[in-house]
Amino acid sequence: MSPPSVRPEPVEGLRGRIRHWWLARQPRTDQLTLTQRKVYILPTKAGWMLAITLLVLLVAAINYQLNLGYLLTFLLAGSAVVGMHVCHGTLRGLSLSLSPPEPAFCGQTATITLTLSSQRKAPRYGIGLSVLDSQHWVWCDVPGQGSSRVQLACPTPQRGLHALPALTAETRFPLGTFRVWTIWRPAAPLLVYPRAEINPPPLPAGVAHDTGSAAAPSKGSDEFDGVRPYRRGDPLKQVLWKKAAQTGQWVSRDSQQAQHSELWLDLAQTGSIEREQGLSRLCAWVLEAQDLALDYGLRLPGVEIAPARGAGHQRRCLEALALC
Amino acid sequence: MLKKLQALPRDSRDTLFLLLVIAWVILPQTEHLPLWCSALSAAVLAGRGWLVLRLRPLPSKWWTLGLLLLAIVATFTTYRTLLGRDAGVTLVVVLLALKTLELRARRDAFVVFFLGFFSMLTHFFYSQSLLTAGAMLIGLWGLLTALVNSHMPVGRPSLWQAARMAGKTALLGAPIMVLLFMLFPRLAPLWGTPGDAMSGRSGLSDRMAVGSIASLALDDSVALRIRFEGAAPRPTELYFRGPVLSTFDGREWRSLRSNFAPQQQLQAGLQVRGEPVRYEVTLEPKHNPWLLVLDATPNAPQLSSALPGASPRMTPELQWLANEPINDLLRYSAVSYPQFRHGPADASASPRTHPGLQDFLTLPFNFNPRTLQLAVELKRDAPGADTRALINTVVERLRSGGYTYTLDPGVFGPHSADEFWFDKKEGFCEHIASSFVVLMRALGVPARIVTGYQGGERNTLDNFWVVRQSDAHAWAEVWLAGQGWVRVDPTAAVAPGRVGTLQRLQAPSGVLGAAINTLSPGLSLQLRAVWEAVNNSWNQYVLNYTQNKQLNLLRNLGFESPSWEDLGQVLAACIALAALVGAAWTRWERRQSDPWLRLLAQAQTRLQSRGVANTPGTPPRAMAQRLMQDGPGRRQDTPHWQAIHDWLLRLEALRYARKPAPGSARADRFNLAQLKREFKQLHWPQ
Repeated sequence: MSPPSVRPEPVEGLRGRIRHWWLARQPRTDQLTLTQRKVYILPTKAGWMLAITLLVLLVAAINYQLNLGYLLTFLLAGSAVVGMHVCHGTLRGLSLSLSPPEPAFCGQTATITLTLSSQRKAPRYGIGLSVLDSQHWVWCDVPGQGSSRVQLACPTPQRGLHALPALTAETRFPLGTFRVWTIWRPAAPLLVYPRAEINPPPLPAGVAHDTGSAAAPSKGSDEFDGVRPYRRGDPLKQVLWKKAAQTGQWVSRDSQQAQHSELWLDLAQTGSIEREQGLSRLCAWVLEAQDLALDYGLRLPGVEIAPARGAGHQRRCLEALALC
Repeated sequence: MLKKLQALPRDSRDTLFLLLVIAWVILPQTEHLPLWCSALSAAVLAGRGWLVLRLRPLPSKWWTLGLLLLAIVATFTTYRTLLGRDAGVTLVVVLLALKTLELRARRDAFVVFFLGFFSMLTHFFYSQSLLTAGAMLIGLWGLLTALVNSHMPVGRPSLWQAARMAGKTALLGAPIMVLLFMLFPRLAPLWGTPGDAMSGRSGLSDRMAVGSIASLALDDSVALRIRFEGAAPRPTELYFRGPVLSTFDGREWRSLRSNFAPQQQLQAGLQVRGEPVRYEVTLEPKHNPWLLVLDATPNAPQLSSALPGASPRMTPELQWLANEPINDLLRYSAVSYPQFRHGPADASASPRTHPGLQDFLTLPFNFNPRTLQLAVELKRDAPGADTRALINTVVERLRSGGYTYTLDPGVFGPHSADEFWFDKKEGFCEHIASSFVVLMRALGVPARIVTGYQGGERNTLDNFWVVRQSDAHAWAEVWLAGQGWVRVDPTAAVAPGRVGTLQRLQAPSGVLGAAINTLSPGLSLQLRAVWEAVNNSWNQYVLNYTQNKQLNLLRNLGFESPSWEDLGQVLAACIALAALVGAAWTRWERRQSDPWLRLLAQAQTRLQSRGVANTPGTPPRAMAQRLMQDGPGRRQDTPHWQAIHDWLLRLEALRYARKPAPGSARADRFNLAQLKREFKQLHWPQ
């Protein structure tokens, strides 16, 4: 598989530039063990509030000469320092690994499955994960010498092979006075299929076989294998009128006849619409043909996939649609 | 009930816990808070708890604002200010309670925590006893637990889990606390504390409106501790001299405001004789300059920690004063002589020769007419009797005239001496002393009131004598020609038990105390002795840890003449050391992983570098299978790969298979060390 083309993320202002430059320096990897160098720590707003509180407590202890006040202030300060270490330790040493993401259709959310594993004996509490800048946090605890799985939703605005967005993990455990975080750029690419058109026109009519087709039609159109939604151009006698009267939907007999013509899904057949829209329609057709268990082929500029059926075939077609 | 609590949603449970902790923190404050404040806080907390239990929504913010406004107005009405210590404490408590009504965002929770820390500190304005410290330690633990709990967002962790984490954090923080406590420079107050700062602390006063010592007599807190070198004096000699009150305006006694020029006022004229008593005093800070010593102390007490400025001085009334208010526990040693005379002592002296004595004869105009009449009658009944005889008559009247000693004499009117002598016939030492001195002056005998402490209690564990606020006492001194000032304790006449026998009126003890007393009268005394000893160490080592002790510590560490800079250097060195220890700890912690997992991880990286795809956490068997699958037809044949395959399976067996019987052939190969050795010997083909 060719290396994914990284689409540039929107860059805004100096801050964004610096961030972009910094992010670009981070190597992409699917497994990350968080070491001292990868874990960042800064006080939170609450941390600054605590600092001010401690200062006021200290001044009160000094002004009223309260030795017990000193004790209280210093115990709190000591706890905050220990809290800082505990907070840092919650991420430090944690291993993150990414399961290869399943392809998704454009417009739907892709699911990123992460496994967090910890080798230390004590559990790690309150670790939040999110796609960088998305603010949708998923919280989990990682048991001691165990692992936990987390699924993140990732938006898919465009079809194609994308690099996964940068992910971030953060924790404020135990006191909330420090924020410890890390930023991770996963390596695995995410394949995004075109958006399947909603209510697409019916599948195009099949093209008659060239080879050996003459021998077959003797079976006639009387034997049918099943039913399928009505398609423009179906002979009226193939329509199941009873069914149509009951359900209001036109259904046709799916006879062997149809199999004798080959179904080709071609970008050229989608009509004089935009290319992306055409791909969208093809995508919907592929899904429909798959649902109807038809054999179908796909023709795109420069790509031709011979008619076949099955999940593997579908996947191949969708990939071709995604990448063309 | 417990079931119901467990069925609560997590949010409700957490809020309920936080409310309990806040109540615990506020509860000990109630005795210093105005009633409305305690009631409001209790109502708000209880109401909030009810909302939680019923799963009702929070009241609108107008409620909170309204209550807040009400509280501010009430605070202002109570204290006439919003600044100052007591008003501040009240406001902090009210804010803390009201903030629970709008626990919406995480930020609100933090405000509650920080207000909680403040209100814990405000306790220490009133008491720094061991008990307070213990209660606040529990409160701190509770607050930290709530804080930790609020940062465990997943599921429903048990509170005990959070409490353990919080306890661990505080315990690990304790060494930092000790270090900072010992080495953080003790500064003088940065600015003057607001005026009402000292009003909450009971103690002797330099003025005495009749009735003001009533509350003091019920206060069991310690005023001073004494260790005698050699035998202690008799209990009847244990008079610790505090302020002497000589000027009376009918309502209030004050220290002398003389009508005479300084050279005409009385001098101390102290002469001592007999055996001295040597002792060391640890004085609780009361924010006044009074150095309490036994009667009479001719030479300045030796202060163990030098207060700035000149040495202590003695007033003409024999009271010793430090140069400035004592704000720390202070230790000093003194030498006193129970036998002494002072004041103009020659036989020919009289208010005429010593005009200063006139100061001790003045009485306010239009007060206590019946007492004045009584003086006239006494003189008329015993014409020509000398002063000594008159005093005896009055003391006899106190002893047999149906006067009683009580802590609760009720309110006295403007003619307090009249009421005592004729109407109520009861009171405690200050009523008795005041009435006695008024009568003496009416009889033409120079007299004054001495306040201080009388008595004390020996702790048999550490041999310290403890003098409590409840030992506060007021007695009289009369001037006799040829003898000078002579102590007369009229209270001894009314209630002989009050003086000298170490028995005092005790405020009724609680149910527990009463139960212990009925079980074994000695036990409660013994318990109290243990408690006192512990408390004393607390005072000596924690509360009395001052600037001087800090510098002494440095001196013991080998600094010649320690200074602030040295203190700073030691602190910095300790912090650097702590950082190193922290780094070491981090390293150690990293190695705390399971050795089996470490070995597996090593194998995994090694395999990955040889092109066998796997991820961390792949079990050994899966790794072994992948090893054989990935290179079709190739690896099975290679003995090296086969060896790695077998090694991986044995690694798995070590963890998951049943342990072989000891001594069997397999048992030798069944340990991690062996597998580690083999790992190094394995040949890893490219």
